[in-house]
Amino acid sequence: MRWGLVPVYVVLLITSVLMVAPLVLTVFSSLKSPDQFLRAPWIPPSPPVFDNFVSAWYRGRFNVYFKNSVIISAIDASLMALIATMAAYAFAFLRFPGNRVLLMVLILGLMAPVTALILPLYAVMNSFGLVNTRLAVIAADLALALPFFIFIVRAYFLNLPAELRDAAKVDGANEFQVFWNVMFPLAKPIVVVVVLLEFLWSWNDLLLRLVFLTKDPLRTLTVGLLFFQGLHTHDPGGSAAAALILAGPVIVLFLLFQRQFIQGLTQGAFK
Amino acid sequence: MGKGSLRDLGSACFFLAPALFLYITFVIYPTLDLFRFSFTSWDGVSPVKQWVGIRNYQELFSDRIFWQAFRNTLLWAGIVLFLNVFVALILAALIAEPIRGRVGFQLAYFLPAVQAGVVTATIWRWMYQPNGVINTFLRTVGLGRFARGWLGDFALALPALAVASSWMGMGVNIAIFLGGIQNIDPALYEAAKIDGANRFQLFRYITVPSLYHTIVIVLILSTIGAFKTFDIVWATTQGGPVRATELLATYTYKKGMLEVRYGYGSSIAVFLMLLIVLLSALYFFQQKREA
Repeated sequence: MRWGLVPVYVVLLITSVLMVAPLVLTVFSSLKSPDQFLRAPWIPPSPPVFDNFVSAWYRGRFNVYFKNSVIISAIDASLMALIATMAAYAFAFLRFPGNRVLLMVLILGLMAPVTALILPLYAVMNSFGLVNTRLAVIAADLALALPFFIFIVRAYFLNLPAELRDAAKVDGANEFQVFWNVMFPLAKPIVVVVVLLEFLWSWNDLLLRLVFLTKDPLRTLTVGLLFFQGLHTHDPGGSAAAALILAGPVIVLFLLFQRQFIQGLTQGAFK
Repeated sequence: MGKGSLRDLGSACFFLAPALFLYITFVIYPTLDLFRFSFTSWDGVSPVKQWVGIRNYQELFSDRIFWQAFRNTLLWAGIVLFLNVFVALILAALIAEPIRGRVGFQLAYFLPAVQAGVVTATIWRWMYQPNGVINTFLRTVGLGRFARGWLGDFALALPALAVASSWMGMGVNIAIFLGGIQNIDPALYEAAKIDGANRFQLFRYITVPSLYHTIVIVLILSTIGAFKTFDIVWATTQGGPVRATELLATYTYKKGMLEVRYGYGSSIAVFLMLLIVLLSALYFFQQKREA
């Protein structure tokens, strides 16, 4: 052990504890009964009770919101994997007039901030009669994140040997067969990143869901949590449990796929 | 344009159709609409969109709350940049040292980065409460005189929320910087060490200059991220107390969606959009120079 590294360890330990502490303390609170809140927040729950989760899940209707979040995020992630990969395939391999120009127009879309677009987006959805349908949220999610995903998949395709496609074409496969049987399977590592990241963004988004899903039976976890924690400011156990119902699946996914999330999010900082 | 470039036209239409349909309908068209709305007094429902020329923009530039929201957004960005660029860079440099448990540290910094804005808001609102964990801690270590209701305090609500927001964003920047540092030629460090450079000098004269482009890009991206912030403020203070945490994004939402002043709300959004486009242009310029 090199003694010169001691201050490095000290700084890293303190800061990483500060980063994790809010989550750990939230887990503690979520498992405490009301009388246990008289003790300091950093004292673990003893005994742990699950009433807060049961209450948020049933009385807070988080069972409904959870189901809604799963439906929207799963559809978002699967459609994004297909649509972004198809478009990326065209940009990477096909020769057609306007290839460059279209790519530039998509680059502009990387800048579109949803916070600025929400008003006209609402007007568009309203004119299609899509307000208070899941379709509105799914369409907006996909459209806004498409440019980013097309770019990362295109970059991946461009690094593959071009002969693969030519060889498949010589064997008489049509364009869609080449895409579906050869290129899509080859793109699996990047498609996994697309699926995970789109699922994460979809799961965590508030604004689009707040604006387009105003009816309670359609609410997702983010909107549910927004209202729940607003009404339960004096119920730290309840708010903590509600927050963890939203955060739990994401934390599990992150721990399982750290490499993919770190790769995707460092590239996706731009979105 | 030769015959070759038309060869794949049919397939290209097929492969691009779903993406282009979504993109044109739900990004390009609304973007154009946003500019159009900003010149009307539309209320979002009536069939008539009354054209009012630049009146919304005249009102905007004399609207004191708008300017406060703009100043707040800049202050927010300043705090986020200090923590998520300056501090993040130092932490990345420390993680890059030959230490044990690098993966564990990185995991700890990155875990908040996958949290939703509403989750971050819920956690930090609880921590900032008058009897929350931060005040309890201050009282326990004898600093009770600093305890307060953080989010109810005019001067401290905005910095307090910006810190919570930075908590969420820091891990991504640390990972970007760490990747950059690991790409620096180790020979540079070895040579400087032979010349007797200490850890601070290595950071100041090798790490920072080598990462110059990465730092500029992260600065721009973090500023854009700060300008877009909505969730964490909306789920805690909704811009309050009074207007202390009003940001451009929350003000747009309030005017447009809640007060149904679509035209006026759109003019705020146009301002926000132009700021972001300007910053994005800087980003592409920087990317090009690096390439």
